[in-house]
Amino acid sequence: MTTWQPVLLANVNRPNSEKITTYLAHGGYEALRKTLKMSPDQVIAEVKASGLRGRGGAGFPTGAKWGFIPKDAPVKYLAVNTDEGEPGTFKDRLIVERDPHAILEGVIIASYAVGAHRAFVYIRGEFFLGVKRWIKAIADAYQYGFLGKNILESGFDLDVSLHRGAGAYICGEETAMIESLEGKRGEPRLKPPYPAQAGIWGQPTVVQNCETLVNIPHIIGRGAAWFASIGTEQSRGPKIFCVSGHVNRPGNYELPLGTPLREIIYEHAGGVRMGRSVKAVIPGGASTPFLTADKLDVPMAFETLAAAGSALGTGAVVVMDETTDMVEVARRVMSFYVHESCGRCVPCRLGGHNMLHELDIIASGQGKRANLARLEALTRGIPGITFCPLGTGMCEPVASGLKLFRSEFEERVS
Amino acid sequence: MPDLVTLTVDDVKVTVPAGTLVVDAAKAAGIEIPIFCSHPKLDPLGACRMCLVEFVGPRGSKLDTACTVRVSEGMTVRTSTEQVKAVREANLGFILINHPLDCPICDKGGECPLQDQTMAYGAGVSQFVEAKRQKQKHYPISDLILLDQERCILCWRCIRYLDEWEDKPQIGLFERGGETVIDTFPGQPVDAATSGNIIDICPVGALTNRVSRFRFRPWELKKTPSVCTLCPVGCNLRLDERVHELRRIVARENLAVNDEWLCDKGRFLHQYVDHPERLRTPLVRDAAGEALRPATWDEALHRVIEKLGDIADTNGANALGGIASARVSNEAAYLFQKFFRALVGANNIDFADGSAVKAQPTGLSAIADIAKSDLIVLVGFDPSEAAPVLDLHIKRAARRAGAKLLVINPRRIALAKYPGAYLPVLPGGEAWDLNGLATALQAARAANQAGSKPAPAPTGKAKLETKVAVMAELRPAYDLLAAAKAPLFIYGPDAARGQLGKLAVTALSNLAVALGFGDRLAYVGAEANSQGARDMGLLSDTLPGHQPVTDAAVRERLGKLWGVQPPAEPGQSYAAMAAGGVKALYVMGANPAATVAGAEALHKLDFLVVQDLFLTETAQLADVVLPATSFAEADGTYTNLERRVQRGPQGIKPAGESQADWAILAALAEKWLASQTVDTGEVSKAIEQPDWKKKRRKIKAGPAPKPWNYPTAQAVLDEIGKAVPPYASLRWDALGEAGVQWSTSALVRAPRRVEPVDVAPIAAAPAGSFTLVSGPLLWDNGPLMPYGAEQVRKLTPTPFVALNPADLTMAALAEGRQVTVTSAYGNVTLTLKADASVQPGTAWVPANLAGAPAETLGAVRGEPVSVAVKLV
Repeated sequence: MTTWQPVLLANVNRPNSEKITTYLAHGGYEALRKTLKMSPDQVIAEVKASGLRGRGGAGFPTGAKWGFIPKDAPVKYLAVNTDEGEPGTFKDRLIVERDPHAILEGVIIASYAVGAHRAFVYIRGEFFLGVKRWIKAIADAYQYGFLGKNILESGFDLDVSLHRGAGAYICGEETAMIESLEGKRGEPRLKPPYPAQAGIWGQPTVVQNCETLVNIPHIIGRGAAWFASIGTEQSRGPKIFCVSGHVNRPGNYELPLGTPLREIIYEHAGGVRMGRSVKAVIPGGASTPFLTADKLDVPMAFETLAAAGSALGTGAVVVMDETTDMVEVARRVMSFYVHESCGRCVPCRLGGHNMLHELDIIASGQGKRANLARLEALTRGIPGITFCPLGTGMCEPVASGLKLFRSEFEERVS
Repeated sequence: MPDLVTLTVDDVKVTVPAGTLVVDAAKAAGIEIPIFCSHPKLDPLGACRMCLVEFVGPRGSKLDTACTVRVSEGMTVRTSTEQVKAVREANLGFILINHPLDCPICDKGGECPLQDQTMAYGAGVSQFVEAKRQKQKHYPISDLILLDQERCILCWRCIRYLDEWEDKPQIGLFERGGETVIDTFPGQPVDAATSGNIIDICPVGALTNRVSRFRFRPWELKKTPSVCTLCPVGCNLRLDERVHELRRIVARENLAVNDEWLCDKGRFLHQYVDHPERLRTPLVRDAAGEALRPATWDEALHRVIEKLGDIADTNGANALGGIASARVSNEAAYLFQKFFRALVGANNIDFADGSAVKAQPTGLSAIADIAKSDLIVLVGFDPSEAAPVLDLHIKRAARRAGAKLLVINPRRIALAKYPGAYLPVLPGGEAWDLNGLATALQAARAANQAGSKPAPAPTGKAKLETKVAVMAELRPAYDLLAAAKAPLFIYGPDAARGQLGKLAVTALSNLAVALGFGDRLAYVGAEANSQGARDMGLLSDTLPGHQPVTDAAVRERLGKLWGVQPPAEPGQSYAAMAAGGVKALYVMGANPAATVAGAEALHKLDFLVVQDLFLTETAQLADVVLPATSFAEADGTYTNLERRVQRGPQGIKPAGESQADWAILAALAEKWLASQTVDTGEVSKAIEQPDWKKKRRKIKAGPAPKPWNYPTAQAVLDEIGKAVPPYASLRWDALGEAGVQWSTSALVRAPRRVEPVDVAPIAAAPAGSFTLVSGPLLWDNGPLMPYGAEQVRKLTPTPFVALNPADLTMAALAEGRQVTVTSAYGNVTLTLKADASVQPGTAWVPANLAGAPAETLGAVRGEPVSVAVKLV
């Protein structure tokens, strides 16, 4: 069993962990002090060297993203994506509620690195406690001189404000989040231009997931080499795994990337309930394909999961035991996506409905082989033709369910 | 010079400018990629996924939307692979899941892209047997447009049009996913002035025209390309006729004029053409006090000739006058002035805002110049109300090209919200401010040239950087003007009437000349053919081709053409004629009796002829009424605000016996000429002839007028080419469907010199009273509005006066109350409104409301009028 002293979640279980005094008492904002003595380019170089990849799902190299921001642009923004909505994911919520300063320190360092003087925190509207704590954290940071004009006498200015989402999953997609931030209907934008070229109000914008930013103070504080020594070849550093489903101890587990799935389920999360066996695991949130029981030894890293036919996604591990009805799983996940489709493009808006309709019929036991055939055709037809990845993502659970557990579907239809 | 890019679309190599979208490049290669959400005039969206095509790259081919991807060198695109076909079929299948397929009762059926593409690319059979989703049907989003949410395929074209062109995002998406619908915002119907364009661009029948709804099937229509005659933009449109009724008007693309847009007035105000109250026969009044009775053309025209002849014989030619309208065609305007100048022998010809306005004869250099200007100066001109499609172009320039707007107007017009400056002025006070700016700019220019002799700017124009004392309130305007590299100056009649207007126009002209942009100064009149009417010499002091009547050489040239020279003395103006300066008046398309005072003056006339479409207040007083055709029923040409002469061909059979304005004038002239020839041969037939045909007049001494021989409107245009030099090459065929701009020349050109002006500031109205401000309103009660469809008539407000909210509070008046507004010229009862766009101390009464309140109060006299506002 991997022994790992939590870094990202080091503070969350301390009493009054959300308070700035607690954060400062445990070395908080030291990395910021160090950062302000470095040049922005040095900060970016350090993050690049660490090998940090985004923790929001796509796994884009963070340092490279910062490097894309044009140096000469007069106005640049940083946006923190805390619109955590991927089914099975609950890591950002924990940090937002228990350790907001850990994120805020990352925000300030990142803003300094890219030259942004304004940062927006886009937070999921239902995170009522998180919103409260964030507002307090921002106010305290101003009071302590970590925000505002001339931060810690460095000459660097930064203002941070909070924006609450209104309950749309799609606003976790960075361009939809930007639209929503601007007060518009949350729908993805046409790309290019990418946010690094034209994001919030048309200005170059870095959008980072909350967990990604929590890594930043540690990279600066302990050095890129420390960070790069953790994990696998292409997946460096620690990662928070949100384990849920049929396990005995569901919860957030911070472990090095590359920790085997089996270890996470059986040693950290206490194994499957009532001693049952695993039937399927969603390794990275609802849009990642299922893994079957024979794949439990896969190391939880970007490259290894891709090789196993799935993806690391947000690191949300949803475990399903042998009693699970996979048709029902597909139907439930599908109904989520249909509910969350923004309605912009035809295949997602209408194709999703169609798939759910077929799944409803099949799950009810009234289905015919033709329903299954139509469902299958849709899972092949929709991916790749939708406006944004949501439409493609919605087909994954069904496609992978059909591929891995076909007999369960076939048994339902006549 | 744009870089060119060569790509391959389905094995066809095509070279297009860099930045072109693949869908347009394919079109250039002759390959159609089906689209719904994509539209050449709107920003790419990529929502419908219909245009997915295969892009062949080094790592295999991938699907992407042709409407969002821009071309790159060496790109290879495949538009008809099995994969592409499957995607199209699937997308159409999805779209049709909830589409009601009620094509047999849908207005769009027959010209519907969804129908066409389903036939071309669809599966042919439906896979779905389930019930369709139900949404709101035939549900009004405005008085003019109905929405059917079930037919809607969510292409966002309407949303994007209203946002990108109108800057009025009044339609939005509501709900999410499969529940998504388009709708208006609560309590806010669509009121954009060009909202009807969303009907044209809707790719399905989701948005339908409430005026034309269920009145046509597209394939049964006879379609005639024509132009709009409701404002001077001259938007290109199409007349859709069926069984002798004008069923619908749609926009026709002309990139130089209206792009592919129409305003709602142009689109929806057409039922007057088929209105039951149209005059269908001539009417005559046999004696004062008797009612008008129907008559034949022969009788009516003879009555006109006889009476006009008698009055001319007794009182001289100067006792006859003609008031026309600038709505009529060039042909009608030309023959009208020719009738008076060559046959009657008087220059008593004018139209409203004719000789009373100092108009720059060259019009706008080009509508296309709006997009190329960095500063647009609007003086006494409100495009949003007076010329909505021009307004679209200006908003586009402000939002997309960074043009600044300098608005000089008594009212904070809608366009004043764009970057630039707003300079409030009192009516008649424009000259003072303009002269201040012109003087300061001239001084700065002189100082720069005389002083350190800075190197000339690349444009050759001196930089205007020297600090010049400018009144503080003029400073923002001065800075804009001094910084402008490509300004455009447009003024309207409201700033140009009367003596004060002349000063204002001279000051504005000086301003333009001082900046070196005299050729970018334009006057835009109120009526559709204001420019043409001036070109034709429909003015008391100006001959065809903008030459003064005092010019002997021009008179001689016209004398050769007409057989008789026009008189050398300037004639009477509209105001003089309407106030009793003549004994007989011929009114073509105008309505001087709209005000009580105007009607009283006409009562004193010995003889009044009115030629119009309807029995207007003026026609009701007439001795002879001649029924004229509308623009849709006769050939004619119209010259728009950028000097573009455009064809308006006949698209529908004339109502009753009505005739084209020019044809009536030609027939009248023929009878006039015949009446002057003593024909003894006629006497033998006298017994069979009624009395009115017997009378003959003696030929006057001097040269005889040449006979009028105009078989067609085109023949009139041919003669216009001889009389009006800039029209020399403008034959009907040469005009084509897009029209031709006439060229300025040495004779008709932009101002080049600064003329000294002597102006004094205008005093504000005395305490307790307000300065009257008037101006155009799109949905006024203009001559044709009362005969429009009910939905259109509804848009005209109850006559009102608006005050600044602060004034309202100060005077302890409440919005909605009835008030009496009194000026030195009359009084009217109006509903009181509060309007922040009205400047404190002024009272806004739009022109042409029912009962002509603004005109009654003296608003169009070109002088400041103060009014008192009292509760009834």
